[in-house]
Amino acid sequence: MSKTTRILLAGTLLILLAIGVQLTTAQEDTETAVSPTGSPIHPTFPLLDADGNNVLDSGAPISTMQTCGACHDADFIASHSFHADAGLSQFGQTTDVHSWDNSSGPFGRWNPLLYRYLSPEGDSHVDLTTAEWIQWFVRHPGGGPATTSRDGQPLTALAADAANVETSIYDPATGSLAAWDWQESGTVEMNCFLCHMDNPNNEARIAALQAGDFAGANTATLVGTGLVETAVSGTYQYNPAAFDENGHLLPQYVTVQDPTTTNCGQCHGVTHTDTTTPLTLDSYTLGDYSTMTTGQVMSGQKISESGLNITDKANLNRSWDVHMERVFDCTNCHYALNNPIYFQEAAGPQPDHLTFDPRRLDLGDYIYRPLHEFAKGQSVQSLQAPGLDNTLRRCESCHSLDTTHNWLPYKERHTDALACETCHVPELYAPAVQYVDWTVLNSDSTPVVAYRGVEGNEFGADTLLMGYEPVLLPRENSDGQTPLAPFNLVTAWYWVYGDSERPIPLRDLKAAWLDGDGYAEEVLAVFDEDGNGRLSTAELNLDSDSKVAFLTQRLQALGLDNPRIASEIQPYSINHNVAFGDYATRDCATCHGPESRVTQGLTLADRTPGGVVPELTAVSGLLWTGEVQANDNGTLNFQPQAEAAGLYVLGHNAVGLIDLFGALAFVGVLLGIFVHGGLRWWFARQQIAHHPAALQEIYMYDVYERLWHWLQTAAILLLLFTGLVIHKPATFGIFSFSYVVQVHNVLAAILVINAVLSLFYHLASGEIKQFLPRPRGFFDQAIEQSLYYVRGIFRQEPHPFAKTREHKLNPLQQMTYFAILNLLLPLQIITGALMWGVQRWPETAVRLGGLPFLAPFHTLIAWLFAAFIVMHVYLTTTGHTPLAGIRAMMLGWDEVEVGAGQASVEAGD
Amino acid sequence: MNDYKYIWFFGLISTALIIFLPIALLVTGEELPSTNPWDNVAPTPVHTNHSALIEGEFTTGSEVTTACLECHETAAQQVMDTVHFTWESEPIQLPGREELVTVGKKNQINNFCIGIQGNWPSCTRCHAGYGWEDANYDFNQEANVDCLVCHADANIYAKGLAGEPAEGVDLLAAAQSVGSPTRQNCGSCHFNGGGGNAVKHGDLDESLYFPDEAVDVHMGRYDFECVDCHQTTDHQISGHMISVSPLDNDTLACTNCHSTDLHADERITSHVETVACQTCHIPEGATRNATKTQWDWSTAGQDLPEDPHVYLKIKGSFVYEDNILPTYAWFNGNADRYIVGDIIDPTQPTELTQPLGDITDPTAQIWPFKVHETLQPYDAVYNYLLIPRTAGEGGFWTEFDWDQAFRLAEEDTGLAYSGKYDFAPTTMHWTLTHLVQPKENALQCNDCHGENGRMDWEALGYYGDPLYWGGREQQLGLTTETAVDNQ
Repeated sequence: MSKTTRILLAGTLLILLAIGVQLTTAQEDTETAVSPTGSPIHPTFPLLDADGNNVLDSGAPISTMQTCGACHDADFIASHSFHADAGLSQFGQTTDVHSWDNSSGPFGRWNPLLYRYLSPEGDSHVDLTTAEWIQWFVRHPGGGPATTSRDGQPLTALAADAANVETSIYDPATGSLAAWDWQESGTVEMNCFLCHMDNPNNEARIAALQAGDFAGANTATLVGTGLVETAVSGTYQYNPAAFDENGHLLPQYVTVQDPTTTNCGQCHGVTHTDTTTPLTLDSYTLGDYSTMTTGQVMSGQKISESGLNITDKANLNRSWDVHMERVFDCTNCHYALNNPIYFQEAAGPQPDHLTFDPRRLDLGDYIYRPLHEFAKGQSVQSLQAPGLDNTLRRCESCHSLDTTHNWLPYKERHTDALACETCHVPELYAPAVQYVDWTVLNSDSTPVVAYRGVEGNEFGADTLLMGYEPVLLPRENSDGQTPLAPFNLVTAWYWVYGDSERPIPLRDLKAAWLDGDGYAEEVLAVFDEDGNGRLSTAELNLDSDSKVAFLTQRLQALGLDNPRIASEIQPYSINHNVAFGDYATRDCATCHGPESRVTQGLTLADRTPGGVVPELTAVSGLLWTGEVQANDNGTLNFQPQAEAAGLYVLGHNAVGLIDLFGALAFVGVLLGIFVHGGLRWWFARQQIAHHPAALQEIYMYDVYERLWHWLQTAAILLLLFTGLVIHKPATFGIFSFSYVVQVHNVLAAILVINAVLSLFYHLASGEIKQFLPRPRGFFDQAIEQSLYYVRGIFRQEPHPFAKTREHKLNPLQQMTYFAILNLLLPLQIITGALMWGVQRWPETAVRLGGLPFLAPFHTLIAWLFAAFIVMHVYLTTTGHTPLAGIRAMMLGWDEVEVGAGQASVEAGD
Repeated sequence: MNDYKYIWFFGLISTALIIFLPIALLVTGEELPSTNPWDNVAPTPVHTNHSALIEGEFTTGSEVTTACLECHETAAQQVMDTVHFTWESEPIQLPGREELVTVGKKNQINNFCIGIQGNWPSCTRCHAGYGWEDANYDFNQEANVDCLVCHADANIYAKGLAGEPAEGVDLLAAAQSVGSPTRQNCGSCHFNGGGGNAVKHGDLDESLYFPDEAVDVHMGRYDFECVDCHQTTDHQISGHMISVSPLDNDTLACTNCHSTDLHADERITSHVETVACQTCHIPEGATRNATKTQWDWSTAGQDLPEDPHVYLKIKGSFVYEDNILPTYAWFNGNADRYIVGDIIDPTQPTELTQPLGDITDPTAQIWPFKVHETLQPYDAVYNYLLIPRTAGEGGFWTEFDWDQAFRLAEEDTGLAYSGKYDFAPTTMHWTLTHLVQPKENALQCNDCHGENGRMDWEALGYYGDPLYWGGREQQLGLTTETAVDNQ
């Protein structure tokens, strides 16, 4: 195309656009358009029933396996999808969480939030049979247990039998199991429409499932799309106008597409991709599961522009999720594992010499057999599809920290210790379940549920949302790292019974609490404290032994053996609702202070039904580094502990004993010198005729000696001060934490360089020998010097050892410096270097105990240094005048007493 | 050396240097660059208080001007050089035309009240001069310059017909009140373009007199006056609007004060070559006051129920909208212009101010526009747009006779009228460049990209959403360097 043609074309398009805008804005206002635009690529096709006949002819429900299977390998898809399988293939395996679990997937794993229990064969009190599970767990897209029995037969091949949980259903009329005829109900094939149409009718699908119209549920998904006009239970009328003369759909009705965020959101959580209308939220349904359990909302809308009632909303200018803001769909990360666009070769079989293998599955093959196993991470709540754990790209698979996190001191240390989500999902703004109490029952057969992130406990349209900060716990990553990551904790209480423990079926619970539409008289008599005939949330609380005993009795009366209250805490990983850097946690004081985010607790509940404090059951994926605390006011808290997580957070953690010991040593020395100095002063006043000894000026300290001394003095004092600021940042709030840390590091480098240079000087000049105590007669001399300090000094006696240029140090000084220079200083340098080095050589630091050992040790030595300095400064005042020693160290010339001690005195040159 | 008395002093200095130099050099602070826009703006000069300087009695505006010129000797000549006074550009070359044309309110038309010819006294209320009431106005009279409309306190001074001071204005008080132009001075005309508040522009209206920061970040949060951005030299005020000044002949731009790489987010920085600042930072037009988006002159003259925002007998029917979604188009700063007498195709909308530039033009960026759509009269034989006499004697607004209005206008405009008229669709693009929003309210990725985006990418010349298809550099093999070289 020539340039002019392009310009002309663009110009024409612009004008057409202008007209188009004019026409559309002028006319289209209230008209809710049912004018689908067809897929640009998907061919037209006929809708087929289970027998492969066109539904236009047969009027029968649509079979997705026949319809979509005409071109795609539908059997392969349905048999390679955890979404369909839902745990059926693992049925019979228990989990770590409940002894009564029969699978790790929702078909068999009991979930205290949802409560209903899929009964195994032979259970004396059957809760859910297979048929009722399908009616109840409407998040299931069909296929798997909705078509296949637990031993792999088609459900339709099973004969109706009231004695079998796979072929029966509880009949409320008779109170016992009745036979379920799969031939009559049909089964639910994997529902392609639900995820691949842009406007599936999930409500109609759910209604069909709940009505037991399993064969028609997928057809019901198309009600309202223009294809299926109406759906009276079991009968569907297809719109002939949507089909061409060959019985194929007209192109505009072929709205097949990649699953969008909205498709996924039907079952997984609250999504909102419309940029113009504000997001609203007033309750949760089963399909809002991820939002309900964590508060995560998948929307690119700014929180400030949503329609929710959130505290300080005007300033929440961040989007709910930055990836959604940047036009992600769920499938960009949770892609089909054989999608050639996203396919990642497993690291294992890849030859070392290859960094990229360009060979890809042919697009046609992919479209024929798109694997419906989707990339996933390893969230703790989801024991689902364990075989697919960590197939997802991680944050760091796409993001490089090199250009964005250089502002962060100790970048590597922070990213080792913290998951990206910890800082980038600082707070969740939609309500999340806090606890669910199934030991009591509302009159509508729901449990008492409390939410976090709301004012009060309840959640409705007019609730003030406050947001909540998730608790941080070590997450077990697939690479063996255990960084802190955010979790919501949901506590649940419920009744279990029997020798082989299992939850009490909901209908028994209802029988114990309710009578018809209201509470049983006896229940009201016990619980209705204000006598208003209703039970409030506060009244619905098993807060006394008598209430527990009352309920136990009623449950026993229903034939339930040994009913008792059990409790558990479910952790829910938080990986979505990521905030852009501007809105992430980036203030050092958030963690490095007395109130550290790292150890911020989470309220579990304002009640403890039956006095049962929930235990921390082992869950794969996270470490319970903390404890449940029962408070006097009846509330329960979870309190994380940094130490238990192997962390020592500078500025937050401190070993009390070490600080106590260090402070005592420091104060002890101070007291000592006060007493000693006081005595000297007192004795000096008593000594009326004080004849000062004759003095002689000696050039004691070379320029370099003085320089390195004062340099070290300054470095150590500043290190002590900056170290103190780092240790107790909250006390020194005016200093920037990260600035002080950097200053501390620079000072340490100066100190080390100065120490090395002076060591070289002392070695090269031989002056080192002055610092070495001479073994011969050392103890005698040390005692002599000590005696001088405790006796002679008060009597104005001369020093026992003459201070000369060759022998500047008396035996006590030699001993002290020997210890300081050979022990304290190296230890302080090593521990400090390792603490600095946690970012460079984390393994080395860990081998030596990691920060939890190194940091307190470093602190201890710092205290000793501080004590030494006080002592050292005091002893410099023991010369012939208090300031003589300091003056000598400044000017080099010292005035030495003539005739002090026995050692000969030689004049300096 | 050993005896040197002040050796300690040098020791102290060296110790301090050894300690603090490395700290100063190695420790990085957390200083962020200032975000205060005043750092980059030339401060408005403090204006001398004139209340004691001006004496006397003034009966006409021209007398005030004469008084001003006693000290400000060149001021009138400067103003007479500006389009605020001439209402007409220098001769310019528009694309596709051989002859030079001049463009301005004086001689061209828009699709609001159409044209001033024949309607001078009403329209020239907003002329920065006195006495323009017919075609014979003397543009060379210094005393015709109106100093007060820009410099007097707008609460004291106002203009009436033909731009003369409104009746009852205390000219002495007005003259004594002069100062730097305020929002009120500029706004008295510019906020009322099209004959009333907010009618014309979509981004200039009375909400800018006392805006909060949600209206405009510069004026609301940082208390800017108009002239803080529209910096002025010798009375030439920077800034231009394509309807009267189609060529990009001045230098006012966001980037005069703001750096183009100020976004911390590289993703955003990668947009600035292609997307005007305004596009993201002005998500909507007419955020406080509804603006006119459609005008149908063909219904004028009927006795229908009147509502100034719906129907007026003298003007026809209107549509006003607020929070308008901008129309986006490539724009390199220049525009084409409908020139009076140009032949139109009455079956197609005629664009009176076509922004120039397209995806292949490296100097063009995607800009937000308010588009105003009108059905306005044209000569059904000669196929050009007509200018009726509206306000003048025998005009449409008094007689409601289109035919007569066009005949009378012949002598005002020199444009022949065949005797047959009809109404043709026209459109005008108005740049949206005020009502600037801070980053908190700026557009974000999903506002333009993805399924719910507001852009029609293919109409802009892209293969598809550039988030998936790549930007124009990728599509056209353009890079900024080569593109500029090729110019």
